[in-house]
Amino acid sequence: MTTTIPTTADAVPVGPGLSMFDPIFIGIDEFGQPVYLDVIYRNLLTAGEPGGGKSGLINNICGHAALCDNTRLVLFDAKLVELGPWRDLADAFIGPDIDQGIDVLRRLLVVATNRYAWLLANRRRKLADGDGMSVIVTIIDELAMFSTVLGTKQQQEEFSTLLRGLVSLGRACGMPVVAATQRPSWDIIPASLRDLFGYRAAFRCTSLNSSNIILGQGWAEQGYTASDISPTNQGAAYLLAEGGVPRRIKAAYLTDTDIYNIADYAAWTRRPTSSTGTPAVNPTEWEMAA
Amino acid sequence: MSKSSPRRFAGRSTGTVTVIEAKVHRSSARNAKMAFILTAVIVGLLSAVVAASYWHPIVSLVVGALIGVPTGAAVWLLVRVWPVIRLLWWWSLETTLAVLLLTAWVQLANHTPTLVTLLVVALVVGVPAAIRPVRRQVKAWTWCLIVRHRLRVCFAQFIIANQSGSLPLILWAKPTPVGERVWVYLRPGLSAKDLEGRLDKIAVTCHASTVLIERASENNAAYLRFDIKRREVLTAHVGSPLVDVIDPSAPVSASPLTVPTALDLPDVDAPTIRIPAQGKPATKQPAASTANGSKPAASSASPEADDVSDWI
Ligand SMILES: Nc1ncnc2c1ncn2[C@@H]1O[C@H](COP(=O)(O)OP(=O)(O)OP(=O)(O)O)[C@@H](O)[C@H]1O
Ligand SMILES: [Mg+2]
Repeated sequence: MTTTIPTTADAVPVGPGLSMFDPIFIGIDEFGQPVYLDVIYRNLLTAGEPGGGKSGLINNICGHAALCDNTRLVLFDAKLVELGPWRDLADAFIGPDIDQGIDVLRRLLVVATNRYAWLLANRRRKLADGDGMSVIVTIIDELAMFSTVLGTKQQQEEFSTLLRGLVSLGRACGMPVVAATQRPSWDIIPASLRDLFGYRAAFRCTSLNSSNIILGQGWAEQGYTASDISPTNQGAAYLLAEGGVPRRIKAAYLTDTDIYNIADYAAWTRRPTSSTGTPAVNPTEWEMAA
Repeated sequence: MSKSSPRRFAGRSTGTVTVIEAKVHRSSARNAKMAFILTAVIVGLLSAVVAASYWHPIVSLVVGALIGVPTGAAVWLLVRVWPVIRLLWWWSLETTLAVLLLTAWVQLANHTPTLVTLLVVALVVGVPAAIRPVRRQVKAWTWCLIVRHRLRVCFAQFIIANQSGSLPLILWAKPTPVGERVWVYLRPGLSAKDLEGRLDKIAVTCHASTVLIERASENNAAYLRFDIKRREVLTAHVGSPLVDVIDPSAPVSASPLTVPTALDLPDVDAPTIRIPAQGKPATKQPAASTANGSKPAASSASPEADDVSDWI
């Protein structure tokens, strides 16, 4: 299967000039074909047992976003190490601190509502590539830490409610959400929030039921169950995306060295452009677009 | 005829599944009779009508009967031997291959000395066997042949579809990296839902690990695709193309972190279980200031608000 990897390298337009509007390479399917996701217009929920490879997949998306032009990262990681390498690139990096998390989510919601007002004023319904507005990618690893462990019950509820708002509003205004959790049962993510995620990736689960909770009711009965993934095959998952039928995929894996190399490179290439460009360019481009 | 009557008898006496068999045969006989009558009458009448424009009506009726009855008989024969034709059709590819191979062998043996014959055979068999991709291709296509027959066995043995016992049309098959993919056209009486409950049995019959079915056409529910899996390819390690586009010699840029010193249980006193205290000051400050030289999102939200109010 290693033969397929070089071909995908040509196929993906990767590079510092990447855009979040490009499909993101996340791995191969069982026929050896590359799998891409349009995270920009769909939210992604990854779930599965500990050590299944969720953070591996999320780091792929994070790496892509870090190399993208005009993209902001908002990272939530109670475990610090999974998304920590990107902390210097992120506009906000939230460790195990729910107050800070709630603050950032509030700010994101304000941005989202403002963007919709802007879209309305421009007689549009959806943000497009040429708008020059930044894409704000929110990535949450171990969602359960924020919704069930840290803070008080009230704070946890507020976090879930705000997140729900962001997930439902963010899609069309360039603010996608990528979340990972070990088991998305009702006590960790309310079903009303879970169902807002358009893309689902189910890493290995221990039971048919857990797999059904992630992918949606009824898939296990049809033979699509993440419990038949071998425990030793980390990074293999069922992905429910375009096509409506779960596909078996193997997520691409970035080693620690790869991650830090990409982060360093991204920081290196971002620094000059954003310090001079971003604040000034954005308003002018809006005027042009309008 | 000779086959159906004892079967029917056996079915009646034991009361087992053979009843279905008997029904199938009876309906085949009845179908043949109906086909004979219908064809004879329709063809006879049509030819009589055409003949009437040349001859006297009575003569043309006789002519019609003369044409209609043999045509009907031919159709009757066709319907009666249809199961045999179907069987021949089923094995046609294998038969053709066998005939071709045998012919080639006989021709070779007749026209070349023994040593040359053996050499040619050794080359023809040995080269694909020695070269791995060729061997794999041959094996994969052989499995395709086998799997179509195994699927037919499934349909004939435990997925009884309808009263007349017509089997789904098993169309072509092609190898995939994990096994085979077979396209099937269902006949009335079956649906994808019926098959879903029997995927494990189908997998067993096909000597496979798992079988999945998927609709092959958005517009036609009868057109299905069977994915038969007998190998796992997802155990490979997949690299990311992002690694190839970056320059690994980029300068290290990491904001300084204050590493807590309490790294063992005795170092932490009972009441100080505030986890957040460790991560926050170290990570937040640099993230906001050095991030990518840009300001934090709060201040980036305000120009947007301004802009929007400009436009409204
Ligand atoms: N795509 C992959 N290919 C190969 N190995 C992988 C892949 N993804 C993960 N692994 C292996 O599995 C280990 C655990 O992966 P990861 O940390 O992503 O799991 P996780 O699902 O995030 O676990 P947790 O729920 O505890 O956070 C990794 O250290 C790595 O060795
Ligand atoms: Mg993880």
